[in-house]
Amino acid sequence: MPPFIDVDYPLTSEGNTLSADSQNSPVYLIRQTANQDREAFSQLYDRFSSLVYTLAMRMLRMSSDAEDLLQEVFVQVWHQANRYSEERGSPEAWIVNIARSRAIDKLRSIRRMERSFILTDDPAKAESSDNVESSAAESETKLTMNSALANLPEAQRKVLELAYFDGLSQSEIANRLKEPLGTVKTRMRSGIQRLRDLLETKVR
Amino acid sequence: MATAEHEYWRDQGEIYALGALDGQELKDFEAHLAAGCPVCDAYLRETGETLNLVHRSLQPVTPSTAVKDRILRQIAGDKVVPITVAQPKQTRGWQIITGTIAACIIGVVLTGTYYNYRYSVYSSVVNLLRDPATRDLPLYGAGPTPTAKGRFLWNQSGEGHIFVSDLPSAPEGKMYAVWTIAQQSAPRYVGTVETNPKGQGGLHIKTTRSELPMETFAVTLEPVGTTAAPTGPMVLVSKQS
Repeated sequence: MPPFIDVDYPLTSEGNTLSADSQNSPVYLIRQTANQDREAFSQLYDRFSSLVYTLAMRMLRMSSDAEDLLQEVFVQVWHQANRYSEERGSPEAWIVNIARSRAIDKLRSIRRMERSFILTDDPAKAESSDNVESSAAESETKLTMNSALANLPEAQRKVLELAYFDGLSQSEIANRLKEPLGTVKTRMRSGIQRLRDLLETKVR
Repeated sequence: MATAEHEYWRDQGEIYALGALDGQELKDFEAHLAAGCPVCDAYLRETGETLNLVHRSLQPVTPSTAVKDRILRQIAGDKVVPITVAQPKQTRGWQIITGTIAACIIGVVLTGTYYNYRYSVYSSVVNLLRDPATRDLPLYGAGPTPTAKGRFLWNQSGEGHIFVSDLPSAPEGKMYAVWTIAQQSAPRYVGTVETNPKGQGGLHIKTTRSELPMETFAVTLEPVGTTAAPTGPMVLVSKQS
């Protein structure tokens, strides 16, 4: 098993580390936010804003877009805190899911826009969506050395990143990598299984 | 057989949790979930928590404190449900008189406010035109409205004005959303333009300064309330495709 050193985020889901009734627990903060408690919302923001912003930077790459996304996500959290259900996942998973959904919508609209008119103007820009991918390495947001993802085999890491950060579907990834769909699926599942093993090892 | 079948759904669930399932497989899996499958629900939740490791693998970046201020200001501006206060009963005659006076006052105030607003918009457009840094871009009809036309005045400070013509009113439940787009950046919603029965409309735009020069300006037909990202057809665009 490769060494696994996580970053500053708590490893287990937030609801597990602190009971939901604790006034510091994210579950409690979400419940209070649902009651229009601005102080609780402010604490919730402090807890998760860096995580959402980091994800947004990795997905959208522009700080202005990432800031817009961060704002949209937390305004949605404010309005929809009453819809959060602990049974369906941790606060982190819920908030990240909102952020990813919105970011993926934006990424897909960029691709659609590029296809519909930018690409027709300048063939040099036809490569831009690929350039976006390669520029990830130059982005401010890089994988932490020894993080869970960095410890996956390259092929598994690649498909997980394309799906998770670039919002590509399994078929789009197969097209992009020029690999059979079955191979892409296998790599995804193996990658997730490996992450699961790492998580279990760490929690144990 | 039941176990083998569930292994199939579990495998699909992993790709679904990643957001990568598509096509018929996605429809089938969603139908399976909709039919009610506590095993898959639990597995999806567990996989979702596992996938938290993916974003946690990134080096954390801290957002500017200005974002939090903006959010807190935005939620503070939300409509507050007013507390209903019982009013003393009035006679019908007094109600008519006070109602008429109130209507007159409101009419005068609204008329004044309207002309003040129009004047401030005209002044802003003139100021935009005076600034040599302001770009004046033609907008071309596209998609369902090929004959529509428009102009976009844009200043990199984040201020602009859009004029549209020959654009029919948006259908019920739809709106014309205006977007600015920098290269390799998500379209940014900057407002909604409405048209009169003659197909003419305009919108003054004031937004935050963008880091990158805007390359493209577009208007799309969207369901009312769509501001996160364009989803509908483009009706006007600054570059001819």
